[in-house]
Amino acid sequence: MVAYFQNPLNIYITAMAAAFLLGLVHKLGKMASLTLFYGALTMMAAVTLGSALSLSQPLIIQTAGFIAPLSINLQFGYYEAFFTICVNIAALLGGLYLYDYLKDSVLARALFLMLVVGINGMIMTRDLFNLFIFIEITSIATYGLIGLDRNIKALSAGFKYILAGGMISAFFLLGTALTYYKTGTLNIDQIIAMKDVLQDPIGLTAITLLLTALLIELKPFPANGWGLDVYQGSNAGIAAMISVGVSTGALFALYKLLPLFPAQHMGIISGIGLATFFFSNLMGLKQTDAKRMLGYSSIGQMGLVLLALSFFHTAPLTMFLGIVGGLFLNHFLAKAALFWIAGIVKKDHIKEWGILSQSKMLTVVFIIAVFALIGLPPFPGFWAKWQFIMVLGSGNHTFIIAAILIGSLFEAVYLLRWFNYVLAGSEEKLACEKSKRVPVLIFGLITAFISALLIKSSLGPQSSIYFFPIAFAVILMFVGNFIPTKLRALFAISGISYLSYYVQMNVSGLNLIFAQMFLWGGMILSIATFYKTKAKPATYGLLFLMLASLGGLVLSRTTLEFFFCWEIMTLASYLLVISGKNAKKAALTYITFSLGSAAFLMAGFALSNSLTLMGLAALPSSQATIVFTLLALGFLIKMGAFGVHIWVPGAYAEAEDDISAFIAAILSKAGVFGLFVIAIYMQSTISNSTLAYSLGWLGILTATFGALMAAFQEDIKKLLAYSSMGQMGYVIAAVALMSHLGWVTALYLSINHILYKSLLFLSVAGVIYRVNTREMYKMGGLIKKMPISFISAMMAIIAMSGVPPLTGFGGKWLMYTALIEKGWHLQAALAFFASGIAFLYMYRLVHSIFLGQAKPEHKDVKEAPLWLIIPQVIFMGLMMVGSTLPRLWVEKLSVAVGEFMPSTLTWSGQTATTSLGYWNGFMVMNIVGVIFVIVLIFLLLTFQKVQKVKQFNIVFAGERPFTPETTHVAYNMYAPVQKALGGWVKPRATAFWDGVTEWSHTLSHMFAGIYTGNGQTYLFFILLFFLMLNFLIGAN
Amino acid sequence: MGPLGLKIIYTLITLVICGVYGLLLGAFMAKTMARVQGRIGIPLHQPFVDIIKNYGKRTAISHGIMFYLGPVFRLTGGIGTLVFIPVIFGSEYFSNFSVAGDLLLVMYFIFFGQLGMALGASEGGHPYSPIGIARGLAQMCAFEVPFALAIIAIAIQYNTFSITEIVAAQQGGILSWTFFTNPFAVVAALLAMLGMNMYPPFSIVLAPQEIPIGPPTEYHSAYLGMLQSNRAIFAAAKLVLFMNLFFGGATNFPVLVLKTWAIYMCSVLVGAAFPRFRPEETIRFFLRWPTVIGIVGLLFAKYYLI
Repeated sequence: MVAYFQNPLNIYITAMAAAFLLGLVHKLGKMASLTLFYGALTMMAAVTLGSALSLSQPLIIQTAGFIAPLSINLQFGYYEAFFTICVNIAALLGGLYLYDYLKDSVLARALFLMLVVGINGMIMTRDLFNLFIFIEITSIATYGLIGLDRNIKALSAGFKYILAGGMISAFFLLGTALTYYKTGTLNIDQIIAMKDVLQDPIGLTAITLLLTALLIELKPFPANGWGLDVYQGSNAGIAAMISVGVSTGALFALYKLLPLFPAQHMGIISGIGLATFFFSNLMGLKQTDAKRMLGYSSIGQMGLVLLALSFFHTAPLTMFLGIVGGLFLNHFLAKAALFWIAGIVKKDHIKEWGILSQSKMLTVVFIIAVFALIGLPPFPGFWAKWQFIMVLGSGNHTFIIAAILIGSLFEAVYLLRWFNYVLAGSEEKLACEKSKRVPVLIFGLITAFISALLIKSSLGPQSSIYFFPIAFAVILMFVGNFIPTKLRALFAISGISYLSYYVQMNVSGLNLIFAQMFLWGGMILSIATFYKTKAKPATYGLLFLMLASLGGLVLSRTTLEFFFCWEIMTLASYLLVISGKNAKKAALTYITFSLGSAAFLMAGFALSNSLTLMGLAALPSSQATIVFTLLALGFLIKMGAFGVHIWVPGAYAEAEDDISAFIAAILSKAGVFGLFVIAIYMQSTISNSTLAYSLGWLGILTATFGALMAAFQEDIKKLLAYSSMGQMGYVIAAVALMSHLGWVTALYLSINHILYKSLLFLSVAGVIYRVNTREMYKMGGLIKKMPISFISAMMAIIAMSGVPPLTGFGGKWLMYTALIEKGWHLQAALAFFASGIAFLYMYRLVHSIFLGQAKPEHKDVKEAPLWLIIPQVIFMGLMMVGSTLPRLWVEKLSVAVGEFMPSTLTWSGQTATTSLGYWNGFMVMNIVGVIFVIVLIFLLLTFQKVQKVKQFNIVFAGERPFTPETTHVAYNMYAPVQKALGGWVKPRATAFWDGVTEWSHTLSHMFAGIYTGNGQTYLFFILLFFLMLNFLIGAN
Repeated sequence: MGPLGLKIIYTLITLVICGVYGLLLGAFMAKTMARVQGRIGIPLHQPFVDIIKNYGKRTAISHGIMFYLGPVFRLTGGIGTLVFIPVIFGSEYFSNFSVAGDLLLVMYFIFFGQLGMALGASEGGHPYSPIGIARGLAQMCAFEVPFALAIIAIAIQYNTFSITEIVAAQQGGILSWTFFTNPFAVVAALLAMLGMNMYPPFSIVLAPQEIPIGPPTEYHSAYLGMLQSNRAIFAAAKLVLFMNLFFGGATNFPVLVLKTWAIYMCSVLVGAAFPRFRPEETIRFFLRWPTVIGIVGLLFAKYYLI
C-alpha cells in the first residue's frame, strides 16, 4: 500500500482508471461517481506528496516494457516534484471549487481528470513525442471544459483557444519531426546530449519551432490576445486551472527543453519574458474587467517567471527554487485564489466588487493575494524578487531591473485600484457556497504558512526578531473581532513597550536615538488611540506592526532586513491610511509613491552588490554615487520631498485623526533614518559632493514650498501635512550638510518635530472629534471650550516657529549656524524666508480654530477627550524640560554624531558654543520667565478688577452684525500673499504626475488596442511571433 | 551686591533710558510728519502724557485669558529683545544679558512678543485684528529676506554671530563700519528696516482709515499703556541692533543717541514722503530690489571681503 503512494506513475493510473470508470459508476448513482472523482483527485495529490517525500534521487520510469515513444517515459526529480505537488493540490482544490460545474456532467469530470493528467505528463515526461501527446491531451481537455459552459463568451474563448492550440500543436509537431530527423531520437536527454548536431539551419528551425510552441502556450506579448479572451470568457474555476495549471505544464516543458537552445539565444527568451511582463502590466492599467485584469496579471507574472527561468535554468536547486520557484509559487497561490474569488463575486466590472467586502474571510485572502502579487513581504514573491533583483544587480542588468520595477509598479496600481473598489462596499448580498469558499481559504492559509516559513528561512539566525512581531500583529488583528478595543490597545502598547526594551538593549549611538524616537514616541502616541470607543478590528495589529517595523529598521544589519522592514512598514501604514473614511484615493496615491520609493531602494541595494548595510561603505566612488542617488530618492519620496510630495496631503489628511499623528510624527522619521544610514556609510564619497549640494538645495526648496502651500490651506490636516513636508525639508538639508553640526541639527529637528507635530495632530484630532469638520473657517473661538487643546497647539507652534524660549529655537540656531559654517549662505537666506512663511500658517491655524469669533453651533462643545489630552500633557512636559535644559539631550545627539566626525559643538555649563556663536537655553528660559512674571504682576496690580464681556462686545464702529460669527476672519486669510506669491505654488508637481498617469494610461490603451478580439488577428500575431523568433535566432 | 545684581540694575537703567528715548523718537516722528503735512503737531512730551493716562484709566475689560496675556507677551518680547543686545560696546554691565545668546537669539526673540500679541489680539474677536496680523505676518516674511541676507553677509564678513564681536570688528575708525565695508548689505538691511518700523509706505498693519489701528483695536487703558511702552523699548532695541551691526556700535550713550537717531531718520524721511502700499505690493517690493541688493551684499561679502 505504501508503495502505491511512492510511485508517481500511480498519478496517471489513478486518473485514467477513474476517468474510464466514471461513466460506469455514474450509472450506479451520482454520489458514487462524485466520490470516485474526488477520491481520485485526492489520491493523485497524495501520491504526488508521497512520491516527493520518499524521493532520494530522480526516478526514471519507462512503462509497459517498450521504449518511448511507444511507451511513456517519465522522470520524477526534485524539480518535477515541486511543480507536480503544486499542480495536483491546485487540481484537488480546483475540482472542489468547480463542484457546481462538474457535479452534473460526467464528461466534465472526465475532462478535468484528463486535464490534470495532461499537465502532470507535460511536467514529467522526458520524451519529445510524449510531450506532444500530453500537450494535446491538456489542450483538448481545456477546450472541452471551456466549451461546456454554454454561453457565447465562453464558446468564443474556447474557439480561440482551439485556434491557438492548433497552431501550437502544428509548430510542436513540426519541431519534433525535424529534431528526430536531425538526431534520430526523441528522448530529451539524448537530444540535449547531441545538441551540437542541431546547430545548422534545419536544427535551428526545429529548435525555433519547439520554442515557439511552448512560448505561445505561455502567452507571450504580443501573441497572447487569445489567452486574454480565454481568461476573460471562461468560467473562473477553469481560468484558474489554465492560469496556474496549464501554464505550469508549459513552463516546465520549456524548462526541460531550454538546454537545447544555444546559450547565446537565451537573451531572446529573457527579452520575451521581460516584454511580456512589462507590457502586460502596462496594458492592465486601463483594464476594468476583473477576469481580464487577472489575465493580464497572469500573463505578466508568467513573463517574469520566464525571465527568471532564462537566467537560472542552470542554477543549483536551492537558487532555482528560491527564485524561479518562489516567483512561480507566488503567482500560483495568488492567482488561483483571485480567480476563484472572481468566480464567487461573479461581477465583471471591478467597480462592482464592493460586494466582496461582505465576506471578511474572502477579503482577507483577496488582500493577501493582491499583496503577494505586488511583491510585498512576507509573501513568497517578495523573497524571490529580492534575490532575483540582487542577482541582476550583480550582473549590472540595469535595464532589466528598471523594466521589472516599473512593470511591478503598474501591476500594483491596477491591483490596488481594484482593492479600493472592494473596500467601497455594497448593499448587494454575496452568495457563496462552501465548496467555493474552502479552496480559497486553504490557499490563503497555505500562502500565510509558506510566508511564515520564508521569513524564518530567508532572514537567517536573526529571523525571530522579525518573525515574532509579525506573528503578534497578525494575532492582534485576528482577535480584533472578538475582544474589546481598549484591551487590544493595551496589548498593542505592551507589545510596543517590550519591543522598545528589546531594541534599546541591542542598539547604541545613532540607532538608539532613532529607536527611542520611533518607539517611545509611538508608545506615548498610542495612549491617544484610547479616545475612540470603537476601533476597526485590524487597527491595533497594524499600528503595532508599523512601529515594530520601525524598530526592525533600526536593528537591521543586512540590506535584506532593512528592505524587509521598510516594506512591512509601507504595507502597515498603507492599510492604516486606507482605513480612514474617505481615504481610498489618497491611500492609492500614497502606496503608489511608497512602492516607487521601495523600487528605488531595491534598485539601489541591487546595484551596490552588498549584502550588508556596512558593505555600502566599501563601494568605489563612481558606484557609490549611483547607489546613493537611488537610495536617497527612495527615502526622499517617503519624506515627501519637493516634487514627490503630492501624496503627502492626502495621506495625512484622510487617515484617521490619531493615525495621522503617527504618520506625521513617527513614520516620517523613517526616511530620515534611511538618509542617515546611507549618509553615514557613504560619507567619504558624498561629503562635499555635488550630490550632497543638490540634496541640500532640494531640502531648502522643500521647506519653502511646503510652508507656502501650507499657508494657503483651508483644511486643517492638509495644512499640517504641508507643514510636515516643509519641516522635513530642513531635515533633508541638514543631513545633506554632511557636517557634525548639520547632523546634530537633523536629529534635533527630527525630535522636535515629533514633539510639536504630535501635539498639533492630537490637539486637532480633539477639535475635529468635537466639531466634526476639518475646514478651519467653520471653527473659531474654541479657546474657551477647549483650553488645554489650545495651550497644546500654542506651545507647538511656538516650538515649530523657533521662537525662544521653547525647543524650536535650538533647532533654528543649530541649523543657521550649520548652514553658514558650511558656506551654504543663499540656502540659509531661503531657509529664513521659509521659516518666515511658516509663521503665516501657524498663526492661521491657531487663530482660525481657537481664537476670533465662535460659531453658535459650537456653544456646547467640550474639551477634547481625556485620552487625547494625556499624551499632549506628556509631550508638553517633555518640551518644557527639553527647552529648559537643552544640554541634557543635545549633548547626547552631539556625542552620537561624534562617532562619525569630530564634534564642533562645545559646552560649558548650559552654554553651547560653535565656531560662529553661542546659546544658553537655560538662561534664556529663566530671563524670559522672570521678565514675563514681572510684567504679568505689574498688569495684575494695575487691573484689580477685570470685567469679562460677552463674545461680540467689541468696538465695531456703530454697527452690530446680527450674525457675529460672520466677522471671524479665517477664510482665504492670506489673499494678499496669494496675489503676490500664489503663482509660485501652482500645482505643477501634481500636474506633472497627473501627466505621467495620463500618459501611462494612454499607452496602456494604445497597446491594448492590438487585441481586437478577432481570432484571425490573434493567429496573425502568433505567426508574426514565430517569424520574429526565427529571424532573431537566424540573425544570431 | 553681586555681579548679577549690578547687571540687573544696569539693565533697568538701560530699559529706562531706551524707554524714554523711544517715546521721544515717536513724538519726533509724529511732529515731523505733522510739519511735512503743514500742521503744528504734538508737543514732544505728548507720548509721556498718553502713556500715563492709559495706565491710569479704570476701564478694564477682558475678552479672555489670551487677550489678557497678549500685552504681557508683547512687552516681555520688547524688553527681552533689548536685554539680549549689548547696548554699550566695551561695558561689561551695559552688555546686559547678551551672554545668553548671539544674534540669532535676538532675531528670533523679536517674534516672541509679536506672536504672543497676535494670539492675544485675535482672542479679542475684532475682525480688524486678524486682518492686521495677517498683513503684518505677510510683510514680515517679505522683509525678512533682505534682512536675513544682510545678516548672513555680516556673519560671512566677521565669521561670527556674536553681536559683541561684530561691534568689536568695526572699531578703528568710521571706515571700519559695515556701512562702508559692505554698503550693499547695509542698504538691504535699511530697506528691510523700513518694513520693520511699519511707517509709510509699509504701514499696512496699523493702516489708519482702513483697518483703524489693526491688531490692537480692542486694547485699551493699561493694555494700551503696555503696548505703547513696548513700542518705545522695542523701537530703541531695533535701532541699537542696527547700530551695532552696521554702524560700529556705541561706546557711550551720546554716541548711541546720535547714531540711532540718524538711523531712525531713514524711516522718518521715507515715511513722510510716501503713501501706503497695498499688502501684495509690499510683498512684491521686498522680494524684488531689496532682495537683489541683499544677494549682491551677500556675494560681495562671500567673494570679495574674505
